[in-house]
Amino acid sequence: MPETLQETISDECKDVLLHVWDYLDAQLTPDATDALRAHIAVCPPCLQYQEFQEEYMRAMRASRAKKGASWFLKARVLDELFDSGYAP
Amino acid sequence: VPFRIDVYFTHQLLTNVPYTHSASRERDVAFEREAIPWIDDVYRFALSLTRDESDADDVVQDTFLRAYRSWHTYLPGSDCRRWLFTICRNVFLRSRERARPTVELEAADVDAAAAGNVYSAAVREGYEDIFSRLDLAPAISDALDKVPEPFRSTLIIVDVEDQSYEAAAEILGVPIGTVRSRLFRGRRLMQEQLLAYAIDAGFGPRRALAEQRRNA
Repeated sequence: MPETLQETISDECKDVLLHVWDYLDAQLTPDATDALRAHIAVCPPCLQYQEFQEEYMRAMRASRAKKGASWFLKARVLDELFDSGYAP
Repeated sequence: VPFRIDVYFTHQLLTNVPYTHSASRERDVAFEREAIPWIDDVYRFALSLTRDESDADDVVQDTFLRAYRSWHTYLPGSDCRRWLFTICRNVFLRSRERARPTVELEAADVDAAAAGNVYSAAVREGYEDIFSRLDLAPAISDALDKVPEPFRSTLIIVDVEDQSYEAAAEILGVPIGTVRSRLFRGRRLMQEQLLAYAIDAGFGPRRALAEQRRNA
């Protein structure tokens, strides 16, 4: 894949550009998945592009806040539930 | 099951409370087992939607009350977190009285070119390893705030909360194709924001850092 899209790119590289997220999210048909995988295996720039997008996805997942609801909120929710008849 | 009937019958004899109450107890036990454990996840999701801890608390409380009252609509064995997220988002939207789609989607080809251009810019500036090199958690939070709806919610559900396209479609009440389109645009917007953050924050490109070390 060339550095900018102003340059001419092959249809296979364009497919990677258009569908790499579908590929990483397992949204492609098996045939389309195989075709993309085969091209990425022989095209270093497309491999780098795929790795760039994989790292983005990892960073997004890793950003998920570790903290959860406070004990105060949990008690508040349970209180409201008890008032509504909740009695496990 | 005879044993259960005996238990319920005895309970009714001793307490004079109709044993239908036992059915509601079973419901409550199921709610405790399947819904309550997701309160931290629902809180995080609510916080990502409201961006305000106090508002998130209110949304979580309302979510669990609504979930409890409509527990009969939950299909046992299905994805309870997804079900709760759907309620949570509806509670949030109702609380804000916000219309959902606010930005028109661009044509797919335009988006494809734009998505590629973010990567091209990152390579050109020496930031091709931006996502693996930097701790982007604070920047991601800020960048998400700048992404408009409906892209933001879709990114939070799929990219941050790691839910499937199908789950996102159910939570957002849109077709899977719409989830896909929103992700395409939303991810590009996020990457633009993160690249700008790295440059503005003075995170030098790897090539420049390597040169600095060589010259030191």
